[in-house]
Amino acid sequence: MRLTPSVLELNLPEVQKRITRFIREYVDKAGANGLILGLSGGVDSNTIAALSSLSIGGDKVLGLLLPERETSNQKDISDALSVAEKFKLKTQTCDITPVLKSFYATIPIFDQADRLCKGNIKARTRMVFLYYYANKLNRIVCGSSDKSETMMGYFTKWGDVAADISPIMDLYKTQVRKLAENLGIPADLAKKTATPALWPNQFAETELGMKYETLDLILFGLERFMDTEEIAEQLKLDNVLVERIKNRWLSAEHKRRMLLAPKLEYRTVGTDFRLPRST
Amino acid sequence: MKERITLALAQISSQRGNKKENLRKIEELTLQAKKQAADLVIFPELCLTGYVVKDQLYELAETIPGPSTRRVEELARKTGMHVVFGMPELSEKTRATMFNTAVFVGPEGVIGKYHKMYLPTHSVFEEKRYFRPGYETAAFDTPIGKIGLCICYDLFFPEVTRLTRLAGAQLIVCISASPSVRRSYFEILTAARALENTSYLAYVNLVGVEDGLQFWGGSRLVSPTGDIVARAKYDEEDFVLCEVDFKDLKSAEAFIPTLRDLRPELFDVLKKRAEEI
Repeated sequence: MRLTPSVLELNLPEVQKRITRFIREYVDKAGANGLILGLSGGVDSNTIAALSSLSIGGDKVLGLLLPERETSNQKDISDALSVAEKFKLKTQTCDITPVLKSFYATIPIFDQADRLCKGNIKARTRMVFLYYYANKLNRIVCGSSDKSETMMGYFTKWGDVAADISPIMDLYKTQVRKLAENLGIPADLAKKTATPALWPNQFAETELGMKYETLDLILFGLERFMDTEEIAEQLKLDNVLVERIKNRWLSAEHKRRMLLAPKLEYRTVGTDFRLPRST
Repeated sequence: MKERITLALAQISSQRGNKKENLRKIEELTLQAKKQAADLVIFPELCLTGYVVKDQLYELAETIPGPSTRRVEELARKTGMHVVFGMPELSEKTRATMFNTAVFVGPEGVIGKYHKMYLPTHSVFEEKRYFRPGYETAAFDTPIGKIGLCICYDLFFPEVTRLTRLAGAQLIVCISASPSVRRSYFEILTAARALENTSYLAYVNLVGVEDGLQFWGGSRLVSPTGDIVARAKYDEEDFVLCEVDFKDLKSAEAFIPTLRDLRPELFDVLKKRAEEI
């Protein structure tokens, strides 16, 4: 297999149809009143906003903007609102800054300088807001994680990845960007620089160490059981770099799985207790 | 035996774990098929329970005869219809092992059944975890024709339909639960299996979304020359009537004599090579 950008090409109308059907059926079967989603202004959540609205109608989709003082900026907010307006979603804004401050002040061992631990509080706080709304309004939390960040473990455990459904989790970031454009999201928003916004000036590609165009091809190769030497050779990369990506993918499995329990009894939750989802 | 029969391809979604509701749907559509003068109504693989039911299979599987087949037998008797549907079967003998089974019921009761021979256990599939594979192909001589059965992934192995055809089947019924990512494979295979055996092939697939797995429908009747005679919608429930004219087999075989040109001696070689993989 040749690892060229064409391997990531999709039949976008077909993908769009499958995703919207998936969302619609899930919401219907769950007997929910609609969807709750977090709107960051980034390409993933904008794409989810569009897909959700096309699936069940914008009046049944509530987008929450959850800014906080350190990382929020007017551009992200206006990007999120413009997509919400285009796809006729309702929105609400909750400034989570006071909640975060309360966490920082309450945790005895809180370390202001540890920006990762601090940033994770932000992602988990957003999750709490989303689930409050979902509980209260009988709605489903719709996640916006993509395959690139999920494979890399580039998310906060029980934070931004926490959701009831994740409609674009099987699409790499570069594929999401193309789907976004196909959905009618303006090109500048579809191509917008990705950031998890855990601290100011945090950029995904800087942290991941490469462009998504390259990362997605590496991940595509790993997904199809190609060995790292072959991937490195084809993409003209140092094998150490590809190995690093592979190790990061494998070592993040704990973030993608149900809780691990020791096998003690007949059937064990998370291992051989295999039940279908109720919806 | 009839020269022409009418099929009803009942492309349904199942409510997972809800045999009562799924039997109600089977009953409703069988009555509809009867009303529209069909001879045989075909439902998808494991439609009695839904496909992705995992460990619930242990509770849902039934013996044959059992409560569900008795109900379908009663339905067939009342309507004079023939019905094929899929269900998880609990072995009558062991009361412990299960099969992925296609059941063929006629007005006189159960005509026969087929245990899926090739159980996909890769990618999203975990059938071998639950089911014992079948060991025999199935072809039945019935008042509506010589009809064979197979199930979904069996289509990837031409020997199943070949054996079924060589046992006399003129119409091969394939019930299926094929997810959307595999649609292109089945569109090719259904045509190929009919063409290479110069037989009719009726393919009936599930629709709906089960645990994120989307079934694509697209049920169809393929002629002995590989043409699509009738096709159901993609991705949604549908009910399609179509006609099988058994006389077509003869002209197809004259045009593409795949059975006449069979080379039995190659099968010995095939067996040997397969053992050496």
